[in-house]
Formats: sequence, structure tokens, C-alpha cells
Amino acid sequence: MKKTAVHKKGMLLPLLLPPAIWLFLFLFLPYLNLFSYSFWKPGPFDVVKEFTLHNYAKFFTATSSGSVPYHVLIDTVELALVVTVFTVILSFPLAYYLNFKVTRFKQTIYMLVIIPLWVSYIVRAYSWKIILGTNGILNSAFIWLGVTDHPLDIFLYSKVSVIIGMVHIYTPFVLMPIYTALEQIPRNLLEASKDLGAGRFQSFLHVVVPLALPGVIAGATFAFVLSMGDFLAPSLLGGPDSSTMIANIVQQQFGTSNNWPYGSAIGIVILVLVLAILELTGRAEKRFSALDTVAMRK
Amino acid sequence: MRKRSAWSSIISLAAASALLLAACGGGGSQSAGPAAGNGNAASPASAPSADVKEKVKGQTLNLLTWEGYADPLFTKGFEELYGVKVNPTYFGSSDELLAKLKAGGGSTYDIISPSSDVAQLLVQSDMVEPIDPAKISSFQDLNEKLRNLTDVQKDGKLYGLPFTWGPDYLIYDGDVIKEEPTSWNIFWDPRYKGKVSLWDDINNLYMMGQIMGLDKSDPAALYNMTEEQLQQAKQKLVELKPNVRKYWATAGELNDLFANKEVVLAVGWPLTVKEVNAKGRNLKWTIPQEGATGWIDRLMIVKGTQHRELADLYLDYIASPKAMALVAEVTTYSVANPKAAAHMTKELQEMTYVNDMDKMFTRLNFWQYVKDRARYNEVWTEVKTN
Repeated sequence: MKKTAVHKKGMLLPLLLPPAIWLFLFLFLPYLNLFSYSFWKPGPFDVVKEFTLHNYAKFFTATSSGSVPYHVLIDTVELALVVTVFTVILSFPLAYYLNFKVTRFKQTIYMLVIIPLWVSYIVRAYSWKIILGTNGILNSAFIWLGVTDHPLDIFLYSKVSVIIGMVHIYTPFVLMPIYTALEQIPRNLLEASKDLGAGRFQSFLHVVVPLALPGVIAGATFAFVLSMGDFLAPSLLGGPDSSTMIANIVQQQFGTSNNWPYGSAIGIVILVLVLAILELTGRAEKRFSALDTVAMRK
Repeated sequence: MRKRSAWSSIISLAAASALLLAACGGGGSQSAGPAAGNGNAASPASAPSADVKEKVKGQTLNLLTWEGYADPLFTKGFEELYGVKVNPTYFGSSDELLAKLKAGGGSTYDIISPSSDVAQLLVQSDMVEPIDPAKISSFQDLNEKLRNLTDVQKDGKLYGLPFTWGPDYLIYDGDVIKEEPTSWNIFWDPRYKGKVSLWDDINNLYMMGQIMGLDKSDPAALYNMTEEQLQQAKQKLVELKPNVRKYWATAGELNDLFANKEVVLAVGWPLTVKEVNAKGRNLKWTIPQEGATGWIDRLMIVKGTQHRELADLYLDYIASPKAMALVAEVTTYSVANPKAAAHMTKELQEMTYVNDMDKMFTRLNFWQYVKDRARYNEVWTEVKTN
């Protein structure tokens, strides 16, 4: 590694200090606050500052009457996994195509994928209502084509619409790291593979995929973590069976239920879960990018 | 009474002659009215009010209300009347009101507009000051049932001025359902699979209680359901799920659901019917035989307010027929003063039931404070995640 000016001691501190202060004030302190709230009791107007583990116990123990946020968390993880799988399935071929097949308008097509990120989440969610609704574009098309004779309810206000909405919204987040990973694959490696007699598919499987894996893991992590914390898609596109994910439960605790300590406790549980996932995927990324550097060396 | 005459004189000075005529006309039907109405203008009664006016001049009244409850259409009249400023802050949920009140209290806010789900809590927790009905000239005009509700009374004192109210109607699409539904049970009718929308709120539990007939002898029973009753209510709501298309979160969302023909039956408020029908549809509302739940919002004076006198004047102003009519015009909610009818269009009168409030009240169960609100919320979440 080359030594740059930043590595000189005198320069490093003033550069790092502002973001460090920022993170401390607006990330670390709020989390600390959340953490302490999770051990207090709810009162009519404010929390009662008495230590209790009740909030955590309540989260993990089933009540007599069935479903508790714990089950919702499991459902949410499942949903996030489905969303992640679909975003990767969509993103990988697209990123591959953009990198290896498209020569003209490459940047333009890439921008077309990224542009939706600039459009408000809510606007995009509402657009799906117009497409998927009972009298929406999709149903009209199906009826016109004769696929069905009456509008289908399944597309909107169901798990289907929640998944479609989330996949659409989080695909760019997955596409970008995969695209970058593919972009960085030295083309001479592919040529070498060809020279050694590998077919297209073999090259793809043994050269491209392993080298793209860190990007796939990074993207999948984005999609998973973001969809786990999503409460807008379920509340806007979800039906009676899919309007309440774990983030909606948290939101409810800080809103209508007015139980901040319980909401904080659930928040901390999710935070720990997400940190664990980040740690795992971080390790996985490193492992596979180690392959990457070995391959790059010569 | 003295207030009202002073009032009229100032208004007449402000060249609102139509308003004056209406005020006198309105007073004519009441024995107490004319005396107050006639003693206006040059009478000595206007003197103290000049003092009051001098005293409050330039002050700012801070309102913390639901959106629409501090509209310039009616606050402007008050501002001009006393040479003061009205500074509104809005809250979007009862819990937000509690949070803001806790953070600011009387040093930040003077008047609040809590709904009946938290009104009692505010009174019992000593967050608000008693109001003096004698200082509100139209107080005796307000609907008797509304001004006698006991949840905002403590130790013989009154803490809330009835402001607006409304039912949670059964709304249906008249083009699909030709006959007026007589029972909430139509929601469970298999013919309407995936065509029903409920509000995403614990109000559904009150409704189930009402359908179960719990409030036959005691209206409060809906708000104090036992665990067993809650489980029954939950069961009913779970059974309803196949028929539910979407739990709506805002009135605007319900409008869209009806407008896009996603649903044909719902619990909702009159505004939905008005707005969707404006697009050429045929929505109708009804109160089924089991009755309906309803809500009432009151104005309260925050404990420790810095502008007590001005707050009293505002309550006096807002309770008047003309101001109440303007409130109804802005919100399309029903208002507490039946005399407001004189200032409303025929359509608005019908929509807000201003002429037959008492008839409506016999069929409504007004929301009350739920002691175990947390449990109600839990049960409702259990329904949604079942």
C-alpha cells in the first residue's frame, strides 16, 4: 500500500473527528438511550425508571392467546429471505448482462436501474397499487388476454404485493455491489480460462461466480437488513395477513400502544440480530474476497 | 350574557351585519336569548369587555389540536375580534398529544382538543384546568347530552367543552349492495369475501363488543371488556379476516379503497362518503340495529396556561353558532351546538345531523377511556398477526 497524506498522523484526527462526533451524537447516544429504555417500565405519560427485564421476557414468552411479536419476527425473517432471494435472482443476470454483453449505452442502462432510487418510496409503493389493484393494469391486461374472466384479488393487499414492492425497491441496492464486483473481474482471467479449454458455462461457474460472490453477499445483506426493517410496504401494500411485520410492531409501541420500553426492547433484539447477520456476512465476504486476491496476484 | 352582548357589538362594529342578524335570530327561539341580544351596542354592558379586550390585546393563543381544528376560516374571526394571534400546532394521534403535552405543558400550549379516548385520563391526571360554563355564553345552547358527559367531570367541575362528534358508520357501496344493511353481520357474509375494510385500530374491539350486545345495559362495558370477552371479540375478528381486503390507516386510504372498487363495505366516517360520491359513485352510510360507536372531541384548557383569560374567550367564541358552523364546514364533522344549523347549507345540516342529534345519540356509544389500553392493543395485534 502506498502511503498517502491522510496516513500522516497530524491529518488523520481532524478528518475523522467530525464524523466520529456525528456518529456518537446521532447514532451511539440514541442507541444507548434505546438500550436503557428497554429496561424500564411504561407509565401513563412517561416511562417509569425502575429496572425490569419484563420487556424482554414478554418478547420471548408466548401468551396464552397465541401469537406474539416473536412469531412476527420469524415471519419477518422469512419474508426478508424471500425478498433477498428474488432481488439476487433479478440483479445478477442484469448486472452480468450490463457488464459483459452491453457495449453501447452501458451507463444509460445502469442509470435507468438506479434512477428509481431517487423517487420517493411512498410514490413507488402507490404505483404498485395502481398496477396490482382489482381494476389495476395487471388485472385489466389479464382479462383482456382472457387469462381470467374476473379480476384477481391476490395481487394486491397480500404477501405477494408486499414482496413485489420490496423486491422492486431493494433491487438497485443489490445490483450495485454485484455490478461493481463483476466490473472488477480482470478480463484476462476469463481469457485465460478460455485458453485453458473451459467452455462459457464453466468459465462462468468457476471464474465469474466465485469472484462476484463478495458483491452478491454484500447486496444480499443490504436487501435482507433493509426489508427486515421495512414497515411501509406491509402497511401500504399488505392485506389482513401481511400488514404487520416486526417493524410495524415496533412502530406501534412508540405510537398507539405508547409502550416505549417494550418497543425499545424489541428494537434491541432486532439490532442484535442484524449485527449478528452483518458479522456473519462480513466474514463470508472476507473469505471469498481472499480467494479474489489470491487470484489477482498472478 | 354580558359577554355575548359585548360580543355582538364588536362584531357589528366589524361590519358583520349578517352575523349579527343571525345571532339575534338564533337567540329568538330561547327565552334567555333576546335579552342578551337586545342589550348590545351602546349599553354599558360593553364596558368591561373593552377592558378585557385591552388586556388580551397582542397576546398569542397556542392551540394543540387535530388538523382542521384551528382553521383560519374560524380562528381569523377570533383574532380580529380581540386583536390577538392564534398559533396552532397539530397532532396526528392521541399519543402524540400526550407526548407533546408532557414535553410542553401549560408553558407552551393553552388549549387542546383531546378525543374521548384520552379525555378522562387528562382530567384524572390533573393535566387540565376546570372551565367555567358561565363564561361561555352559548354553553346552554350546546346539546344537553354532550355537555353532561361525566367523563370530563371531576369533583363537580367541568373540564371539557364539547366541540365536535361523529359516529363510526357502516359505509356501503349502494351500487353493489342494493338493500340497506340492517346488521353489522353483513361483514361476515361470504358474498363479500375480500370486499370489507376495517379501521386499523382497537375501535374494532369496541365494535365487536357492541355486536356481541355487551353494551345493552352499560355503555362502558365496551371499554372494560374482560379477557374472556376480548378473546371472543378476537375470535370474531379472526373469522372476519377472509372477508377483509385491507385494514385502512387513514380516511384518505379508505376513500381510495372505495374509489378503486377494492371494497364495498367498511367502517368509516361521513367525509369518505362525501368525497367518493363527488367522483360520481353511490356510497351510503347507515347505523345498523346493534348501534355504532362514536367519538367526541372536547376543547380543554391546559393546566398552567399562560393565557387563561384568552383561552376562556376562545371557548366562548368557538361555542357560538356561527363559529361552530364554520368548524362543521371545514371538517364536515358534527358540532356540539345545534344552533349552528342556522349558518349551514341544507346539505351540511343533513351530513352533520345537526337537527336530530338526540336521535343519533340513542344509537351511538361514545368512546371512553380504556384503562387497559395496552391489552386492547395487544389483542388487536394478535388479530392482525393470527
